[in-house]
Amino acid sequence: MSIQTILGNEAIALGVVEQGCRVVTAYPGTPSSEILSGVVKFKKQLNRNIYTEWSTNEKVAFEVALAASWSGLRAAVAMKQVGLNVASDPLFSSAYTGVKGGFLIIPADDPGPHSSQTEQDSRLLALTAKVPVFDPSSPEEAREMVGLALELSERYRTPVILRPTTRLCHAVQSLEIDDLIPPENAIPEVKFRKDPKRWTATPKFRNLLHKELNNKLLEIEEEFNKSTLNFVLYDDINSSIGIIASGVAFHTVEQSLAELGNQIPILKIGTPHPLPRKIVEEFSARFDKVLVIEEPDVCIEIQLNSREKVHGRFDETFPKAGELTPEVVTSILHTIFNKAGITVNSPPNDVELEDLVSSLPLPIRRPRLCPGCSHRSAFYTIKKEFGSKGIYPGDIGCYTLGMNLRAVDTFVDMGASITMANGFYQANQILNDKRPIIATIGDSTFLHSGIPSLINAVHTGARFVLVILDNRTTAMTGFQPTPANTELADGSDAAQNVSIVDLVRACGVDYVKEVDPYNQDEFQELLQAAFEYSQSLSGSVAVVIADRPCVLYDPTPLNENPIPVVITEECDGCRYCLEVFECPAMSLSSDKSRVDINQKICVDCGQCLDSCYKGFILPDLTSIINKQEVPSLTRSD
Amino acid sequence: MDKLHNLMFAGVGGQGSLLIAELTSMAAADAGYDVKQTEVHGVSQRGGSVETHVRFGKKIYSPIVTPGEADVVLALELLEALRFAHYAYPGKGIILVNDHEIIPGSVSGAEDMYPHNAKAFLRDKKMNVITLKATQKAHELGDGRIANVVMLGALSTLIDIPSQSWQKALKLRLPTRYLDGNLKAFAAGEQMVRKENAAV
Repeated sequence: MSIQTILGNEAIALGVVEQGCRVVTAYPGTPSSEILSGVVKFKKQLNRNIYTEWSTNEKVAFEVALAASWSGLRAAVAMKQVGLNVASDPLFSSAYTGVKGGFLIIPADDPGPHSSQTEQDSRLLALTAKVPVFDPSSPEEAREMVGLALELSERYRTPVILRPTTRLCHAVQSLEIDDLIPPENAIPEVKFRKDPKRWTATPKFRNLLHKELNNKLLEIEEEFNKSTLNFVLYDDINSSIGIIASGVAFHTVEQSLAELGNQIPILKIGTPHPLPRKIVEEFSARFDKVLVIEEPDVCIEIQLNSREKVHGRFDETFPKAGELTPEVVTSILHTIFNKAGITVNSPPNDVELEDLVSSLPLPIRRPRLCPGCSHRSAFYTIKKEFGSKGIYPGDIGCYTLGMNLRAVDTFVDMGASITMANGFYQANQILNDKRPIIATIGDSTFLHSGIPSLINAVHTGARFVLVILDNRTTAMTGFQPTPANTELADGSDAAQNVSIVDLVRACGVDYVKEVDPYNQDEFQELLQAAFEYSQSLSGSVAVVIADRPCVLYDPTPLNENPIPVVITEECDGCRYCLEVFECPAMSLSSDKSRVDINQKICVDCGQCLDSCYKGFILPDLTSIINKQEVPSLTRSD
Repeated sequence: MDKLHNLMFAGVGGQGSLLIAELTSMAAADAGYDVKQTEVHGVSQRGGSVETHVRFGKKIYSPIVTPGEADVVLALELLEALRFAHYAYPGKGIILVNDHEIIPGSVSGAEDMYPHNAKAFLRDKKMNVITLKATQKAHELGDGRIANVVMLGALSTLIDIPSQSWQKALKLRLPTRYLDGNLKAFAAGEQMVRKENAAV
């Protein structure tokens, strides 16, 4: 036994490994990404035989793990909450068919949202899909719930959701960890057994399966009514107000009550779907007023038979959007308790200072593409060629930050750049709008869901330029491999890599060119030619693949050919380069008279040379000669 | 051991504020505290403001520090110190700040908006401010990147975690080839804050 500090996602991963999951799949997405990398870490540490993969997308990940479950093995799949939208088709279907080996779905929700396009509640999707949910409140509880969820999944032959949120996934907690967990590598005596009424159920059988599922949920609700995961804290305290809370919000309420110096009964719900209604009703009957505190939406509240004395998000006692931080909850509870005549401490925070600080005109720090990022070079050149008259549908990844260079006008969801370009083209045909359309998508996102979009665009005769920004990794979420890499999730180099250019051709695209976006002139010529092709008589979608590795993932090509730059004395601080090139290594001097290069973060990519139209940014010849690395380089002016 | 500690770490993506928060959590856990830490990453890791909360004590519920409750706000940059100043406990909380400015780019006119008077502003509001030239010290030690660990050394003099727990955390978490430099940075930070206190 040792005490370690451990990340929430790794605590989940430890549970998954300990509980004998044999197939674990995922598609990366904040805040879920460290679950699968944690499984890889612990399977190596504990010498477990587990198949792990970074799948092409969440639907793929779901189905790969599901088949393992249908073969009788324990399996788990992880993703971020919007990923469950992508996997919702098999989610709904597998709730009907049921499973065999324990099957755990782990979608990570993001109240706030901190790094997602929505604040959606996966528990509500589970409610619609009729899948039971475990709602952990801490890393420690998440680890425990993994086993309980898998066991329930096996007993009722149903998929089960373990639903963490950002503050759990990225929380670090001190945790007791057993040093020796016996390896469980024996091959279980299970195998896939054919069962047409279930695995290939036609609508007639689906009807029966639906009834079976409804019965399962009734039985599971009965079981949840007895579960120790649903319990009352401060049960013996006399109060006119009671609180029902689940997930991370439970500990938030505990902290708020501690700050307010008060204790009132809290019903902690660990299993919000199906809601253990008997417990909830017995608890509620004791109070004049019941507060429901949950994130990010109303899964418990929506299942209540009566909301007569209930206050939550529906009546806006708690805000309908945004994270329930201790600050938010404490302030709301403070008001409610005061009104009810319950004495409480005042929160110690200095409201005056808080208001003062929030009223200060402090400049925000916008997230930006890294110095040397190949996406910056691509966006710079795209913008140079098509200017502000271009329409720029973008996509999900680091390169969404192309918006800083005004080269991303829209983003919706994974793969939408291509379909939006397709739709803009058709709308523009009707509107007689001749503006060029240039869509951008990353390599991982293209493989995730760009391919059907591209087929559709080619098939329906849309005409636009698609730039695939291939930086050879899933950079935003921490360099997970894509199907175009030879690397597998376990770090081995045994994957069969697929070719993006071949895939593009197979989608029916005739015009496809590959270019290093660092070669800005060549890239610009190709963009021009691609656009002309797309508009020509026999033209169609034209694809340009901007091929250069992420500078953080693989700096080798950069190191082989460094081009340090200087900004000459003549610089007049006009800020043009700051606007169009938008590099974090360039900033206005403190007296605003000129632009300086911050040598501490500049990576000598030399990509900014073109961004001063006055010619004041030049290769630093002395530095190059001193380094004796590129002696042949000459002044470009 | 019963005392509840609330710490807030603020900085700019790339400065290593998350790393020193992690080291603090590890040291506090080693010292026998119940520890919880939270941060938000994603787009914020690319040059944005980074905030990490660390709480430890006998029993910790939420990992999130409420404004007005931090014993120490450790900021690796002056603007970020100002942005999170209201987290410090009124009258008692300490703002431990690296005397270093990073001008935000990308936003038009950000250069004009930068509050170069941050230190004076905080002192004016009767905040307990300790400013240290940690970035300068780190450069003197030969590596500008270890300013974060200089600040961590300074923090260690303000909170109740035994020295051996800090040393253990540094040794466990940092790659061997960087350990020596970081141990020197940590010691330098300890000394700097002691000098500062002696001067006051």
